Amino acid sequence: MENRSWSSSSRRWRGSYRRKRRKPWGERLADWTRNFIAFLFSNVGIVGLVVGYTIAGAFVFTAIEGKHSLKRSGDVARLRYFTASNLWEVTLEENTIRESVWRNRVRAILKKYQKDIVEAIRNGYDGTEDNKQWSFAGAFLYSLTVITTIGYGNISPRTEWGKVVTIVYAIAGMPLFLLYLSNIGDILARSFKWTYARCCLCRCRRKPRGAGAPPPRDAARMNQWQIVKVHGGELETSSIEQEDSSSGGVAEDEEDEDEDDDDDEDSYDPQQVTVPLTLCLAIMVGYVCGGALLFSKWEVWDFLDGSYFCFISLSTIGFGDIVPGDEIYSSEGFELSFVFCSMYLMLGMALIAMCFNLMQEEVMAKIRTLGRTARHIFRCDR
Amino acid sequence: MTPRLEFEPKEEPKEPSKCMRFLSLLWKFCSCVFSHVILVSLVVAYCLLGAYAFATLEAEHEREVKRSIESLRGNMTEDLWKLTNKDVILVDTNWTDSAMKMLKNFETDLLKKMKKEGWDGSEDTDNIQWTFTGALFYSIIVITTIGYGHIAPKTQSGKVVTIFYAILGIPLMLLCLSNIGDIMASSFRFLYWKVCCYVCTKPPRRRRPRNTRGYSVRQVGRYSNRNPSLRRSVRASQRSADSALGLSESMTRSSYSDTECRYHNPEGPEVYRRSEASGVRPSTMSRYSDIPVASPRVKGGRMTTGTASLDRKLIVTPTEANKFPVLFNKYALDPEDEPKTESSRGTNEPVEAARDVERGRSLGRNTDTGPGAASRVSGLGTRSLPRHLSVVNPPGNHHHRQRSQPPPEIREPVLVEMESMKRPSRMRRAQSYYGKADSMRSGPALPLAVPGRPYRREAPSPRVMSPMGFAVHRQIYEDDFDIDYYDYYVEDNERAIAQRIKPVPIWLCVFLVVSYIFGGAFLFSEWEDWNFLDSAYFCFITLTTIGFGDFVPAHRLHAEKSIALCSLYLLFGIALLAMSFNLVQEEVINNVKSVAKRLGIIKNNDDDDEDEED
Repeated sequence: MENRSWSSSSRRWRGSYRRKRRKPWGERLADWTRNFIAFLFSNVGIVGLVVGYTIAGAFVFTAIEGKHSLKRSGDVARLRYFTASNLWEVTLEENTIRESVWRNRVRAILKKYQKDIVEAIRNGYDGTEDNKQWSFAGAFLYSLTVITTIGYGNISPRTEWGKVVTIVYAIAGMPLFLLYLSNIGDILARSFKWTYARCCLCRCRRKPRGAGAPPPRDAARMNQWQIVKVHGGELETSSIEQEDSSSGGVAEDEEDEDEDDDDDEDSYDPQQVTVPLTLCLAIMVGYVCGGALLFSKWEVWDFLDGSYFCFISLSTIGFGDIVPGDEIYSSEGFELSFVFCSMYLMLGMALIAMCFNLMQEEVMAKIRTLGRTARHIFRCDR
Repeated sequence: MTPRLEFEPKEEPKEPSKCMRFLSLLWKFCSCVFSHVILVSLVVAYCLLGAYAFATLEAEHEREVKRSIESLRGNMTEDLWKLTNKDVILVDTNWTDSAMKMLKNFETDLLKKMKKEGWDGSEDTDNIQWTFTGALFYSIIVITTIGYGHIAPKTQSGKVVTIFYAILGIPLMLLCLSNIGDIMASSFRFLYWKVCCYVCTKPPRRRRPRNTRGYSVRQVGRYSNRNPSLRRSVRASQRSADSALGLSESMTRSSYSDTECRYHNPEGPEVYRRSEASGVRPSTMSRYSDIPVASPRVKGGRMTTGTASLDRKLIVTPTEANKFPVLFNKYALDPEDEPKTESSRGTNEPVEAARDVERGRSLGRNTDTGPGAASRVSGLGTRSLPRHLSVVNPPGNHHHRQRSQPPPEIREPVLVEMESMKRPSRMRRAQSYYGKADSMRSGPALPLAVPGRPYRREAPSPRVMSPMGFAVHRQIYEDDFDIDYYDYYVEDNERAIAQRIKPVPIWLCVFLVVSYIFGGAFLFSEWEDWNFLDSAYFCFITLTTIGFGDFVPAHRLHAEKSIALCSLYLLFGIALLAMSFNLVQEEVINNVKSVAKRLGIIKNNDDDDEDEED
């Protein structure tokens, strides 16, 4: 239904400057493809595209890296066995003679062992026998950190092919994620502005709409917005998607904008509202703190660690010194944790994009005012 | 206020232009100095400050961790000794099993030390990671958002300081890098066209209006990579606002004009007129369409809103009509003066007609009655052409008349609007309200054309179509606009002209980046004993700011030296990336737009161009 409506509306304006061909099958196929691509890059599709891309990446990386990491933990086990037998030999030789000699030799062996272990850890050994780093969940998180450029580095590819694939994967994936961010950030910014304008500023404005019944289409639109608002606007992607899918694709979206302009003519425009900086900052801080609370409950971090993790992740610095799933790598809670973490990241980055969007408008307005004032002063001095 | 306004016109002609010039020069100078010298030194100072702070905060903790490793191993030895002494008779398998268990524990402890406490694997307390150099590297890693994580703060205060350090530092770094990228881009462009391709002067290839572009790409770029400069981001925000909402008229005008003049060439009046018609000559249009409004009486009323500008005063002076082409066309019309005046002279008649239409329209807007609407509709066909002409015509002939005539008619709408702006503090709302009302009114006249309008070349968008409405909108933004205008037009002027016909080919930029990565890979494989693939992987991961941290320099070479080399490499590399983004942006966006148009996905071309950009 969505595709159809899109194509009809698009054909309407495309036809004006595009020559129409009369090839029913080819045309239909081409249209279908176009619609599909357009849908993929629409606001709904992009979420699915990002998730699908990440899942595909997870499969690829699991396949490439999984074998290698198994070999590594086997190496460590062998090293341990070797060291133990070394120690045994030393004990046999030195035990009865002198304690200090024995200690020295044991110390030397342990030091060597420690060095080897450090090397193994540097190469990706994580302490578990059956290496779960490159399980599906781990690979999913890895793919996500690659395309978001967070790059925790708690797991990283060790094979040649893993590295090459990572490079290619990042080249294709980062623009995709950027697109996701821009789309979702835009939607969030718009809906947030709307919510802000309607909810917070209503008191000091006149009623947005007269008593006359609004046109049906507008009513539907209102309902959609209502959904968004009820779900909390910026925290519920699904509701926003709903809004989009029902508004029907790309070209019609544009049309919607125009209609919206027309409909709203007797009220101020919500999109002209600039959301105050403090509110944006509060949202970001609130999101980080909320994440910190949740993570400190899920993991065994304290609050500072949680907020530190959230900040480092959302700013895409991504040290990787604290990573979710750390302590549930081997337990059954892992799946849930990684799903939650990915959702938190994807939503959070879109939210931050939204806040930057809003803040930038506000700051530009401020700067403009400042410039105007400066000019005023300058002029008065003259 | 009002008396001053009245005598001002007489002393007007020289002073404002001088003072504006001075202002613009000052502004240019300040922005130049600020953005290039102060910004860089600010970033350096910020890094040094961060290095000092982190070194003090974290060094002691790291020493403690290192000392604790020693005791950990001592405990292990002790345990083994106890195990050996526990039994009189030692059995090989039993002893080995217990020893293996201990070793496993020891291993886990080591792992924990490394992962949780940031132990780097060596026990030498003199050779710590959080030296001043290491902390400096850490600061750079943080504010570029690379985040290797090979060293990370482990103390509570270190974490808190890192958070605030990043909050301040990341935007600073972005600003600095984009500035450097801009400089590099312009110099590279200059180099490329002066040195490499002196001969080829390409004709422009695209004259599409750029309204349909996916604007949001820019924003993302701004958000997540180092690409856009502040100036650019201004434009980006305006564009996105416009694309998303279609409401911030005046600001977007400016951005359009800037980009348009890059691609629309002084080929002839035809091209030019088209760009004008799509509402792209903000300076001239807005100012001239201001004229009626700015007649003294009305202006007195307007002054109370606190938005008077030098320009408007300029415009008011009736005796100096010949001056404003000098002042304003300087910006808007640089090389195109000739063809345009000619063409405008050649088509005087349409000008008259169009002005009549406009007047009718303004009346119609005021009263919203039939005749006005009718004339508006009838004027549709000729609108784009003559309006432009009436606007650009420098001799001031028409302007005199236009200016002298309109007040009785045009004062009305303005006053009405003044009344309707009940709350001066909410001028924006009122303004947007008028914008919407205007677009709505033109909506019924062209029901089909409105949605598709922004996509078509010949048809200006409804908002732009009505000059008076436009002027009314512009009242509030006038001053802002001028600031902006000066801000980046003056300093962008030469560059815009240079860019207009001189895009650097995409492949060259891609080649540059790829060769930078490979060059870095070669260097690092020399310095660090990595193999070539590892080095290339390291360079890629670093420059994309993913920063896994599985490869970090400074293991083989002398630490300070290799850290310095790596910092230089990544800073320059990120600036280089910003530069190449800067260079290929317009080109790629246009390519992709054409591809998307062929595919039929007009609005969704953003990602493709990102694809190619990367």
